[in-house]
Amino acid sequence: MKKQIIPFAIPGLSLLLMLLLTSFALANEKSFLDTIKKTVKPFDARSVKKVRPVTRKTVLALEEYRGGSFRVLARKQEIKRYKCSNCHGEKPVLVKQGFELTHGNVIINHGRAGNELSCIDCHSEDDRDFLEDKKGRKIDFDHSYKLCGQCHFRQKRDWLGGAHGKRVSNWAGERVIYNCASCHNPHSPRFSKRFPATYSVPLN
Amino acid sequence: MSSPKKNEKQTVIQDVLEKPSSRRSFLKGASIAMAAGSAALATGCMATGDTTTSEEMKLRWQEYFKKHYRLMTAEEKKETVKRLERLAKIQNDLDVQIGTDPPIENVLYGYAFNISRCEGFMECVAACVKENNLDRKTNTQYIRIFEMEPGKLDPSTGDGQFYHKVPVENKFYMGVQCFHCENAPCIKACPTKATWREPDGIVVVDYNWCIGCRYCQAACPYFGRRFNWSQGEVPKEELTTKQHYLGNRRRPKGKMEKCTFCIQRTRKGRLPACVEACPTGSRVFGNLLDPESEIRFVLEHKKVFRMKENIGTEPKFWYFID
Repeated sequence: MKKQIIPFAIPGLSLLLMLLLTSFALANEKSFLDTIKKTVKPFDARSVKKVRPVTRKTVLALEEYRGGSFRVLARKQEIKRYKCSNCHGEKPVLVKQGFELTHGNVIINHGRAGNELSCIDCHSEDDRDFLEDKKGRKIDFDHSYKLCGQCHFRQKRDWLGGAHGKRVSNWAGERVIYNCASCHNPHSPRFSKRFPATYSVPLN
Repeated sequence: MSSPKKNEKQTVIQDVLEKPSSRRSFLKGASIAMAAGSAALATGCMATGDTTTSEEMKLRWQEYFKKHYRLMTAEEKKETVKRLERLAKIQNDLDVQIGTDPPIENVLYGYAFNISRCEGFMECVAACVKENNLDRKTNTQYIRIFEMEPGKLDPSTGDGQFYHKVPVENKFYMGVQCFHCENAPCIKACPTKATWREPDGIVVVDYNWCIGCRYCQAACPYFGRRFNWSQGEVPKEELTTKQHYLGNRRRPKGKMEKCTFCIQRTRKGRLPACVEACPTGSRVFGNLLDPESEIRFVLEHKKVFRMKENIGTEPKFWYFID
């Protein structure tokens, strides 16, 4: 009786063995992605020597990303006629005057068509040296991401993580990234159409 | 007057003949001795004694007989770099600095390209040409940008030669360059082992070891390799003098070349020129082995895909969609 069972058991066993072996073989055939996913220890980006220092003025961001604190490009020194309170003081500025003197070049193309934003949607009405979010909190010009992020929250999440925007010159070293207004004109944030910087030649 | 020189020459030749050596090192030694001899002859004939020509000749001979980059010792690397820098000075009056920076430990480079953000401004291409000292005469470019119809993902369906105001409505732009594959077909195809993958993932070419057979170009499924048709012509004022042996140094005529993720920059912690130049921030570059890096954030949080993933080349270049 037992002798009859064995021939039946052997193909079953060998099948099992084969399955096991193939599964092992598949497990051994690893992609480099598995190694990547397994690395959990952060790389000390500051340990890389010869990183070129960022010469542009930066400020420490008020928020954190996965790797902790980071820096953003400062914005204020790039704004012409900052401080705004030099003109926007105690005396009221007439719209006509303002147009002639300073902001005639500003064309607002921000917000849905027909429902464009106005100045005080972003600028503080009482203190022109600051921006102001919808909750009435004053925001420094250097930290405009706090203001932009209240509508563009998805972009802000990507920007914090690194999928939107970019670092300044180094992938290693201290994380310094572009501010929102370093790339986008806040009054007209879309990139305007233009000719490409170069052209492609036929490959063959 | 000529007797000490003659003696010197003889001792060099004797050294070469008597020392135990391989065929290669014998040829090298013999040729240098010959070059030195002919130089002595030349200086003997010419009253002024043009020393630069003999020096150049000697350097070129030594360059011709040098080893494969991967077989060189640190000392030999230093010597070849010194020779190349000196040759650049003699031949073109250029002060270049050629580095041999090794890969950084625990670094594996990865690249991501945002197809919903790229607007086709081609600033990356212009920056790449400038940074990598690409030949201006044949207009070599490592990066190609394709203008694509919505819904299509194969660049061969797109327009790779557009020149009009961009972005065009209802079109998207897709950049293609060397993807630095983990299982790179170009490496397997190379008969002389002149191309290989560095530990940090960069696929490089030893220009002096390449024989220009272009097998790698045929093997690459992504059209990532370029053949060097002529001696590169770069305006002197536009030349990038900070170079790397495996990167943007002067390439001999008739060799293969390709994107090296700007090895001369990235091994110093800097971003590749295309990433730095991109005005829309569509290009993300970083260390795949750092869980806090930007590239890892993209891989974890975005819809990513790689081109021709089914052929198993495992490129380290991802496309992603916002």
